[in-house]
Amino acid sequence: MLPLSVKDDEYKPAKFNLLLKLSGWFRSILADKTSRNLFFFLCLNLSFAFVELTYGIWSNSLGLISDSFHMFFDCTALLAGLAASVISRWRSNDSFSYGYVRAEVLAGFVNGLFLIFTAFFIFSEGVERALEPPDVHHERLLPVSVAGLLVNLVGIFVFQHGGHGHSHGDGGHGHSHSLFNGSLNHGHSHGGHDHKHGNKHGHGGHGHSHDGHGHSHGGHGHSHGGHDDHCQDELLHTPGKGSSKQILQGVLLHIIADTLGSVGVIISALLMQKYDLMIADPICSMLIALLIGVSVVPLLRESIGILMQRTPPSLDNALPECYQRVQQLQGVYNLQEPHFWTLCTDVYIGTLKLLVAPDADTRWILSQTHNVFTQAGVRQLYVQIETAAM
Amino acid sequence: MEDKYSSNVLSGGKLGMVEVPNSRLTRYIVLLIITKILKALGIFESYDVLKVVHIVQFIFILKLGSAVILLFFQKPFSSGKVISKRQWIKILKHAVFSCIISLLGFFGLTLCGPLRTLLLFEHSDVVVIALLGVLFTSSGGGPSKTRGAALFIIAVICLLLFDNDDLMAKMAEHPEGHHDSALTHFLYTAIAFLGVADHKGGVVLLVVSLCLKVGFHTASRKLSVEIGGAKCLYALDNLVSAVVLLPWVIVLSVTTESKVESWSSLILPFAMIIFSVMILEFYVEAICNAKMETPRCARYGSIALILSGLLLANFWTHPLTDQLRSMSKPPQQVSTEHVLSGGVIVSAIFFIMSSSILSSPSRKGQKGTLVGYSPEGTPLYNFMGDALQHTSQSLPRFIKDSLKQILEEYDSRQIFYFLCLNLAFTFVELLYGAWTNSLGLISDGFHMLFDCSALVLGLFAALMTRWKATRIFSYGYGRVEILSGFINGLFLMVIAFFVFVESITRLLDPPNIDTDMLTPVSVGGLLVNLVGICAFSHAHAHGGKSCSGHDHGHSHHGHSHSEHSHGGHGHSHGGHGHGSHGHGSHGHGSHGHGSHGHGGHGHSHGSGGGGMNANMRGVFLHVLADTLGSVGVIISTILIRQFGWLIADPICSLFIATLIFLSVIPLLKDACEVLLLRAPPENEKDLNSALEKIEKIEGVLSYRDPHFWRHSANMIAGTIHLQIMSDVVEQRIIQQVTAILKDAGVNNLSVQVEKEAYFQHMSGLSTGFQEVLAMTQQMESMKYLNDGTCIM
Repeated sequence: MLPLSVKDDEYKPAKFNLLLKLSGWFRSILADKTSRNLFFFLCLNLSFAFVELTYGIWSNSLGLISDSFHMFFDCTALLAGLAASVISRWRSNDSFSYGYVRAEVLAGFVNGLFLIFTAFFIFSEGVERALEPPDVHHERLLPVSVAGLLVNLVGIFVFQHGGHGHSHGDGGHGHSHSLFNGSLNHGHSHGGHDHKHGNKHGHGGHGHSHDGHGHSHGGHGHSHGGHDDHCQDELLHTPGKGSSKQILQGVLLHIIADTLGSVGVIISALLMQKYDLMIADPICSMLIALLIGVSVVPLLRESIGILMQRTPPSLDNALPECYQRVQQLQGVYNLQEPHFWTLCTDVYIGTLKLLVAPDADTRWILSQTHNVFTQAGVRQLYVQIETAAM
Repeated sequence: MEDKYSSNVLSGGKLGMVEVPNSRLTRYIVLLIITKILKALGIFESYDVLKVVHIVQFIFILKLGSAVILLFFQKPFSSGKVISKRQWIKILKHAVFSCIISLLGFFGLTLCGPLRTLLLFEHSDVVVIALLGVLFTSSGGGPSKTRGAALFIIAVICLLLFDNDDLMAKMAEHPEGHHDSALTHFLYTAIAFLGVADHKGGVVLLVVSLCLKVGFHTASRKLSVEIGGAKCLYALDNLVSAVVLLPWVIVLSVTTESKVESWSSLILPFAMIIFSVMILEFYVEAICNAKMETPRCARYGSIALILSGLLLANFWTHPLTDQLRSMSKPPQQVSTEHVLSGGVIVSAIFFIMSSSILSSPSRKGQKGTLVGYSPEGTPLYNFMGDALQHTSQSLPRFIKDSLKQILEEYDSRQIFYFLCLNLAFTFVELLYGAWTNSLGLISDGFHMLFDCSALVLGLFAALMTRWKATRIFSYGYGRVEILSGFINGLFLMVIAFFVFVESITRLLDPPNIDTDMLTPVSVGGLLVNLVGICAFSHAHAHGGKSCSGHDHGHSHHGHSHSEHSHGGHGHSHGGHGHGSHGHGSHGHGSHGHGSHGHGGHGHSHGSGGGGMNANMRGVFLHVLADTLGSVGVIISTILIRQFGWLIADPICSLFIATLIFLSVIPLLKDACEVLLLRAPPENEKDLNSALEKIEKIEGVLSYRDPHFWRHSANMIAGTIHLQIMSDVVEQRIIQQVTAILKDAGVNNLSVQVEKEAYFQHMSGLSTGFQEVLAMTQQMESMKYLNDGTCIM
């Protein structure tokens, strides 16, 4: 009578040994490409921050110290992304019956929020400075910001590279999307599908990384077979999955914001040195803050929608048609309390109640309903059939 | 057999994705905005050019240039229908009218400057038609449209009356000989005859010509269909009007001497104007109107145009931009003409608001609650009595309603009162600071305002929680409060982090603080925040309505917990809470409430209960953090004064930051758990026993995929699959299971009952996936054969 669940110790290491735990985490970080990239970049960032901090303390420069703390703060975003990409691969247990896949959405959300905070602070400071431009010591500003820019450029490069991993992982999704359309000519239409997927999701930042991936598709074609058996497992075990688009989007946005910040500082430092335009600094920072704010909004909106169990936007149009089709089934009187929501990227879950005639064939209705909604892309569906009173 | 079917990833795009995704629209919006900015630039440019070139020559060159380019692109003669003689006459009339309108428009431009022209003349047709509809017909479109029209008129009046343009004074003693043609002279005398200043005359002129333009556009619609498209008509129109203007231009250039030194230097500006004002804008607007709905297009366009106009007006005469504009132009003798003034900014804001109101489509059918779906699949709404009445809300009513809603419930009332108190304190501080000219007070006031944002967020969340479920948010908005608690918690973390960092830097290098001003302010802040803490910890007590009211300070935490977890068993909660929560380390339980006299209550676990309203906890923690901050400031002030320990300040703030950090962690953890769809911890035991009971129900073989999660404070959703024997009545089982789980606290449940045959079907589906897929598609083309064997 115990609830059925698979205890897997690989992902939740035993508690007694800290070292074991750490090494387990380490291994699971290195297991996936994206989290590996995240980890390395985090290390790079941290070491840069430490170098800055020690140098700052050594040379007793307050500016450097505060900048290094700023870097530490930036690292939290990376850390959140990393933690999420590890956590989202944990198995589900009794308490977390859906598994931890939502961690990725949460991480994206947190990153977005942090970015908004940062943008807000920068903006308010920019306004303050625009009112009374302070004397900025631009001679020391330049090297630090150039170094920061370099680090961030490395980050962008890594995550564009990580975008490969990303598109690898999502290639699977692209396929699972298109399975229904393209299953008959399954063999060679991968490239096209992948592109379609990329366009549909609109992360232009990774756009070019979709191109060169012919080689990986074969693998994904196979992995469908694996996917199809176990939904729960499918949610949890797919390697590319753990690092899904919300995390990457958040992290990439963060890094881009940092890069923009460094570029802005460099430009304004140059302007100040050459032309003595003191106003350049606040204007630059305000522009950057605005840019950050605007670019974060879609991410935030999407993740809030998911966290609030919104009906998935991509199903918005499909659902009424599905309802219509279900209600046209023989014996179905009415459809009540339809709830559809997103578990994590591209995994939709739905529940609904059907009021059916007393003499209807409930099994047939059940399977038909499942069919209809699976075609629309709902992975898990719970249909409660209620018989109408005579 | 387990989990066999639910993973059939047929997530096909067969049914969805009809709508144009938003990302594709963004491209057009960006294009539109860029075009509008370019157009604003062009108009500013043409204002400068018009100072040199005669207006008729100017328009002639514009028309000719755009005609050449458009003819090259459109080729109205080689393609399309042959134009009859009568149509040519119509085009001629059309061209004459368009010449007159552009004359009026550009003359208005010379009179009242580019910014005001942008504000007045460049409204899209939709806006003006809506405005005229409100003004001259009885069925305007509800109070919102009326409001938009009123805003528009106010904006025009603002421009007329409150805009003390410098140019007005300068132009007042206009030398009569300045006018260089009969036409302008005529217009000037006409305006002078009306008895208004030039500038105001320009405003009136622009409004009139705007109306004319819209009427003209509407009238020419038929003609454009006859000719073969608006673009074609536009090309021909430009050509013909150039031809019409040609004799006049020749006469002008013969009779009057030109002020232009070299025409070649004007080529670039003219090209720019022609490109941005005449051609690019026309095409982009046509494209955007085709891709998006017109009102939306109009809204974005007008906002972009007005904002860029404001920006340009600010920077156009700036010395910096003078360097950038390298085209040789007459030196700007006065840089102050047509400057920004308060009236212009106000009217610009009004224009933006009115155009966005007027161009918004009248919405209907969005209030009311979703009840279900009709057999055709269209959503059905239930319009409750009051939802019908305010289909379009007016502002005072909206405020009244939301006030009523706020005061309706305890939580939001508390937050609201405290917000008012906080705001009052802030304003007093700001006023006093401004009066005594103390920067410290003012910055502290702004800090308080910033704090208020957390309260506003909490208030908003408390309001939003009670919104009804919609089609999109089918579970309702209950999660907002958890999200708000989460955001507040994160916010606090960030603040704590920054305080930490700053105190470390201060630790290394303690600055000198003037302690004179600090104490009264921080004591005031402390008092306000103490009131807040009282109010909110009171709210805790009331949150659990089971609180018997005795000895608040001690008992409420334990009680507030017991409400959600289990109504019946009043005495098991102590052990329960400890067992399931496991975060006995409630830092804030001991330190924050120390002042309230539960010092000894190490086991105040209740405030950490997942059932407690996360929103209120977030707000409470925020207030608590503020209080701690003021306490810290007071203590460190005293220490610095008495003993001269400058180090006390950073140490205090370090300590406070750690405290905040520790106290936020439980809130964040709980909110995270809810957001990660964890089974509610305080119900876990009940749920397990309920599942055991379910297994024992007669006829149930097994269950799988039990998912239970907390949606909001008072809603736990759950789903479960049951396998039953084929000979039992499903309804009875569903009822039993629902009852059992309802006892365990799950109040939004769906049970899927499966019998043997269903398994076979589903297992068939997942083994022979491809075949089933093909069959399903076949079936789809056959339009649902009415027997179930089709898919087997």
